[in-house]
Amino acid sequence: MPIQVDRSVVGKEYPPFPVTVERGKIKEFARAVGDLNPFYLEDRVGAASAWGDVIAPPTFAVTFRDERADAGALLRDLGVDISRVLHGEQEFEIFRQLTPGETYLCRTKVVDLYEKTGKSGPMAFVVRETAITDRTDEIVATMRHVTVIRL
Amino acid sequence: MKYAKVAFEDVTVGDELPPLVKGPIEQIQLTRYAGASGDFNPIHQDEAFARAAGMGGVFAHGMLSMGFVAQAITDWAGAGTVRKLGVRFAALVRLADVVTCRGRVLSKSSKDDVDLVELEVWAENQRGEKVVTGRVTVALASRG
Repeated sequence: MPIQVDRSVVGKEYPPFPVTVERGKIKEFARAVGDLNPFYLEDRVGAASAWGDVIAPPTFAVTFRDERADAGALLRDLGVDISRVLHGEQEFEIFRQLTPGETYLCRTKVVDLYEKTGKSGPMAFVVRETAITDRTDEIVATMRHVTVIRL
Repeated sequence: MKYAKVAFEDVTVGDELPPLVKGPIEQIQLTRYAGASGDFNPIHQDEAFARAAGMGGVFAHGMLSMGFVAQAITDWAGAGTVRKLGVRFAALVRLADVVTCRGRVLSKSSKDDVDLVELEVWAENQRGEKVVTGRVTVALASRG
């Protein structure tokens, strides 16, 4: 018997949260991927670049989370266990590079939920979008995250 | 070719990215990625948990493979060139897998004085199975 997901989550907006990009986190992230690009890792290269500092790799914003919130909030809203969750799709749109010391505001919203049956059985797809803005409310980047739940 | 910065004029539709080979994937890399990304889902760390979840064992974070694909793109186009990158995680990456990232130029365009190149990108395992598929748009500088 497939599990049921709570569809009422569609349209839900999570409380906006601030993140301040840390130099060491950029480097830790790049090294964890094994991407040793000097524009991420070397302060002198960054300082001499068009951005005036090191920049974050394209997928770095996935590290942004609300430190005050419960990391399991979405799963609890959906009524599913973490062992049923897979990452289906991910998209980043980058309007400006993320640099150390900058503080951004993240706003995440659940925009869609649909079900499909794949070769491994019935699945639900939860689509979340996050807008990342700077102190002047200008858009810096967006993320689109599709979570797959094995029903 | 590493950390190259290709000029817009030097790109032709159909050009291929230099392949980037990553791995073999080791558990320690998944643990490092968990710490760096903040994704501590035990399905990427704990063999017993992953088996009990019906996944047949530990597998890599999709975002790690997306990071590999992003690296293949920026090694060619330059850091800070990615405007849009979207992928689908098509198959699981397992411990000991070798992941090869590839791409091919689909189109070139210029809009508001920005020169854009769109590529299809993908990553495949050592059996040639696609584990990530997607598209990227990069903004390239002119040779000047």
